[in-house]
Amino acid sequence: MTDTQPMRLGKETVGVVNKLKVGIARRTEGRGVALLVIVVVLVAILEPTTFTAYSVTLGRIALIGLVALGLTAVILMGELDLSVASTLAVSGVIMASMPNIWLGVVAALAAGIVIGMINAFFVFYVGINSFIATLGMLFALRGLAFVLSDAKPVRIADIDAGIAFGTPLLGPITPRVLIFILAFIALQVFLSKVRAGREFYAVGGNRQAAFDAGIPVRRRIFTGFMISGFVAALAGVINTLERTAADPTAGSSVLLASFAAAIIGGVVLNGGRGSVLGTLIGAFSLGILQVALTFSGVQVDIQDIFIGSILLIAVISDPTQLRSAVTGIRSWFQRREKSQAHT
Amino acid sequence: MTTQSIETIGEVGIKRNQFNLLVWISERGVFVFTALLVLFGVIFVNGFASLINITDVFYRAAPIGIVAVGMTFVVISANYLDLSVVAQVATAAVILIGVSNDYGLPLAFAVALFVAVLYGVVNGIAVGVFKANAVIVTLSTTFIGLGILRWLSGGSIFFGPEDGPIRAFGQAKIGAIPLSAIVLLIITMILWFVLTRTNFGFVVRSFGSNKEATRLSGVNTPLVVIGAFVITAISAMLAGFVLAAFSNTAVSTMSDGYDFRALAAIIIGGTSVFGGKGSVLRTLLGVIFVSVLTNILVLSGIGFGLQQMAIGALIVLAVSVDALARKVTKK
Repeated sequence: MTDTQPMRLGKETVGVVNKLKVGIARRTEGRGVALLVIVVVLVAILEPTTFTAYSVTLGRIALIGLVALGLTAVILMGELDLSVASTLAVSGVIMASMPNIWLGVVAALAAGIVIGMINAFFVFYVGINSFIATLGMLFALRGLAFVLSDAKPVRIADIDAGIAFGTPLLGPITPRVLIFILAFIALQVFLSKVRAGREFYAVGGNRQAAFDAGIPVRRRIFTGFMISGFVAALAGVINTLERTAADPTAGSSVLLASFAAAIIGGVVLNGGRGSVLGTLIGAFSLGILQVALTFSGVQVDIQDIFIGSILLIAVISDPTQLRSAVTGIRSWFQRREKSQAHT
Repeated sequence: MTTQSIETIGEVGIKRNQFNLLVWISERGVFVFTALLVLFGVIFVNGFASLINITDVFYRAAPIGIVAVGMTFVVISANYLDLSVVAQVATAAVILIGVSNDYGLPLAFAVALFVAVLYGVVNGIAVGVFKANAVIVTLSTTFIGLGILRWLSGGSIFFGPEDGPIRAFGQAKIGAIPLSAIVLLIITMILWFVLTRTNFGFVVRSFGSNKEATRLSGVNTPLVVIGAFVITAISAMLAGFVLAAFSNTAVSTMSDGYDFRALAAIIIGGTSVFGGKGSVLRTLLGVIFVSVLTNILVLSGIGFGLQQMAIGALIVLAVSVDALARKVTKK
C-alpha cells in the first residue's frame, strides 16, 4: 500500500480484459464462489446423492437463504439483526395457535414486522448498538415463544393445508422454493433498481454523508429491520406449515447458517458493500454442505463444528480487515527485527 | 484547590446541581433497585427470607457471578460480550469430572486450563488481530466448542465419586455461606485489583473508551483484547468447576443461558456496553440483583419462558437507560 501510483483515468480500462478485471475487482462474491466451488467438488466426489435428491437440497437452501436475504438488507446498512432466530420461532408459534390458517399467516407476518419496528426503534431512537439491542430481543423473544407455546410444540389447526403446502408444484419446485425465488428476485430488484433500496448502500457506507445528502436515514433503517423481521417470520410460517407444528426452539441452527451465508457471500459487516447474489451463493454452498453432511450420516454436533468454522473463517477473512491485520502483523515482525538488530 | 478543579473537569457537560433521572439511574440505580428488590422479597414472597433459600441463592449466584466478573473485562474493552462462555463453562465442568474420574484431578485442571486459554486466545486473536465483530466470532466459537464437547462426550452425563474432593468442595459451607460464594468474592477481589490497580487494567479501560488513541499511544492493542478474552475464559473455567462441584455432575447443556444472565448482571451493574466505563464490584451487585430476581420469580412459580423474557427485557431496558443518559451528558 506504500507505493503511490498516479490515479488512473478513462483510457486504461477500455480493453475487454481490463473491463473484466475492473468488474471482478468490484464484486464482493469472491469468497462465496470459492467456497461454493470447493463444496460442490467435494460433495460431487464424496456424496453425489446430494445432487440427485435435489428437492431436499433445494428446500434446505431455501430456508437458509430466506433468512439470509432478510439479514442482507440489514447488514448492508451496517446494522445486524440477531433476533431473526427467535422471530422465526415466535411467528411459527403465533401462526399455529390461531384457529384459521390464513388468519395465522397474517398474524405471524404482522408480528415479524412489529418485531422489526421494535428493533429499529431501539437502534435509531434510543441509540443502542444493534448487536446488543437485537441480542436482548433474541433472548426476550425466545422466552415469549416458550410462554406462548407452553414450551411444547404447537400443532396447526388445519393439518391438510400443511400437507398440501409441502407437495411440489412443478418438478422440484415446492411452494417453499418458489417463495424463496420470489423473495430473492424482489430483494434483488429492490436493492439494485429501486431508489429506496439503493439508498441502503449509502446509509451503510457513510450514515452522516447519507443524511446530509437528504436520504431519509430513519425511514431506511426502519425499512431494513422490517424487511428482516418480515422475512424471518415468513421463514417461520413456511417451516411451521411444512412440519404441521410449530417448535418454540426452532431457528438456532438456521441462525448460524444464515449468518455464515450472508457474510461468506461478501456482505461486509460494516455496511455499504455486498450483494443479494453473494448471499444466494453463500446459501447454496451452506445448504449443499449441510444436506451432504446429513446424507453421509454425520451427527448434528459435527455439522455445528463445520458451520461454526465456516462462519469464523468468513468473519476473519473479510478482505478489508484481512489486509489491515496482515499489515499489522508484518509491521510487528519488522519492529521486532529492528529491535533485535539493535541489541 | 487542585482537587477542586479536577472534579469540575470530570463533570463537563452537566451542571453541578442539575438533577437528571436517567443519569442518576445509570449511575446509582443498581444500589437502590437491589435494596428494593430484596426488601420486596422479604416482605411479599413466601419463603424468601429463610436460611435455606438464602444459601440456595448463593449457590446459584456463584457460578454466574464468576462468569460475569470475568466477562466485565470484555465488556469494558468495548467488545460487547463473549457468548462462548456457555461452551466454556460446560467444557470445564465436563473436563473436571470426566477427566478426574479416570486420570485424577491434577490432569483435569491442566486440561481445563489449556482449553480455557485456547478459547481466550482464539476469540482474542479473531477480535483483536483480525478486527472481527466479537458477537459473531463468539457465536461461532460457541457452536464449534459445544459441537466438539457434545461429540466427544456423546452428550452423556458424568457423575463424580460420592466421597471425592469435588463433592466435598461443592458441599462445603461456612455458616450459611457456601464455599463457592467465597470463591466468587476472592475472584472478584483479584479482578478488581487487576482492573483498577495494574497497568493492564488501565489499558483495558482506556482501550474501551478510545481504541485509536490507545493504539497511537504505543499500546499493543491486540494483546489487550487477547488478555481480556483470556481472563474471561479462565473465569468461565472456574465457574465450570464450581458448577460441577455444586451438583457433582456435568453435562454439556448445564450452562444454558449463562451468556445472557452474565450480560444482564454486568449491564444492570452499570458497566457500559459502549466500553470504558464500569467496575467489577458493580458487576457483583448486578449478579446479586439478577440472582435475587430469578429466585423471586422461581418462588412465585413463574416459568422458564417468562423468566427469560424478563431478563431479556431487563438487558434492553438497562442498555436503553445507559444510552439515553449518555445522550443527556453529551448535550
